[in-house]
Amino acid sequence: MLILHDLTPLPWWLAGASIGAITLLLLWVTNQRLGISTGFENLCALAIRAPYFQRSEILNSQGWRLPFLGGLVLGGALSAVTSGGWQPFWAMGIFDTTFGWGPAGKLAWMFVGGAFIGFGTRLAGGCTSGHGIFGISNLERASIESTLAFMAAGIVATNLIYRVWGGL
Amino acid sequence: MAPWVYVVFGTAFGWVLSRSGAADYNFVQGMFLLDNVQLYGIIGTAVAVTAPGLWLLKRAGRTATGQPLRVTPKPRHPGNVLGGVLFGIGWSITGMCPGPILVNIGEGKVYALGALAGALVGASLFGVLYERLRAPLHLPKLELGIGDG
Repeated sequence: MLILHDLTPLPWWLAGASIGAITLLLLWVTNQRLGISTGFENLCALAIRAPYFQRSEILNSQGWRLPFLGGLVLGGALSAVTSGGWQPFWAMGIFDTTFGWGPAGKLAWMFVGGAFIGFGTRLAGGCTSGHGIFGISNLERASIESTLAFMAAGIVATNLIYRVWGGL
Repeated sequence: MAPWVYVVFGTAFGWVLSRSGAADYNFVQGMFLLDNVQLYGIIGTAVAVTAPGLWLLKRAGRTATGQPLRVTPKPRHPGNVLGGVLFGIGWSITGMCPGPILVNIGEGKVYALGALAGALVGASLFGVLYERLRAPLHLPKLELGIGDG
């Protein structure tokens, strides 16, 4: 069950095939390589003048990555609206039953994890979409190595957090 | 291409992430605890569909509107693995990779705003430190300005 409205999730094969189809259509129709974490830089570039955010890869992609990121938010909102209604909520599944932190603790924990994501994906040059799906499908060594690294690190970190710290 | 086209692609992608478990804290922890195969199945199927499709598209070499197809491989450097490790830790802590951060905000999960704030601070920090990290980590040289991309 999903945390969102206790929904039954789509079957994995249908979700995976849909993601593959969207990835291929995005390339075929718009000539864009799927990748989400570069979009963080497009957002940073709106406010920060450092040379890193003024490079051609970012300046040339504002026109597609920013509306794409907006679409992701809209997709999540539509998913909630069409399955029981939209409302702000704090439910976090096994984090609540294991650690039971309140809103301030959750926001702080999310901020720390988010900083790892922002710094890590930019250093790695991609995330689950650009490396894990597109890069691996294109047999790129950088993507295969990066994906192995983030999957392994996630497995170690979650086992430390839940089995060691949380006593699951 | 008009911006609304990318909004449509993002919305479709976000909806699938929302309804599949990819943007769900419990499913992400289940994947990393090796308790739940849902997200491995999703990533595996996505690659199994994308890889042959990409091969065919590259062989055809043209987009739907007849433009030359552009697929630029990502540069390989020590940051791929080091950054991957940091990202994996962040994915574990938040239960979100970058797409699901935005999807979860859309769903109404308030705590996801903390993850977005952290991600923007982390990406800013990386950008500001780039020139200092470039030599030791063999990162690519910056190509500044609006090129012919």
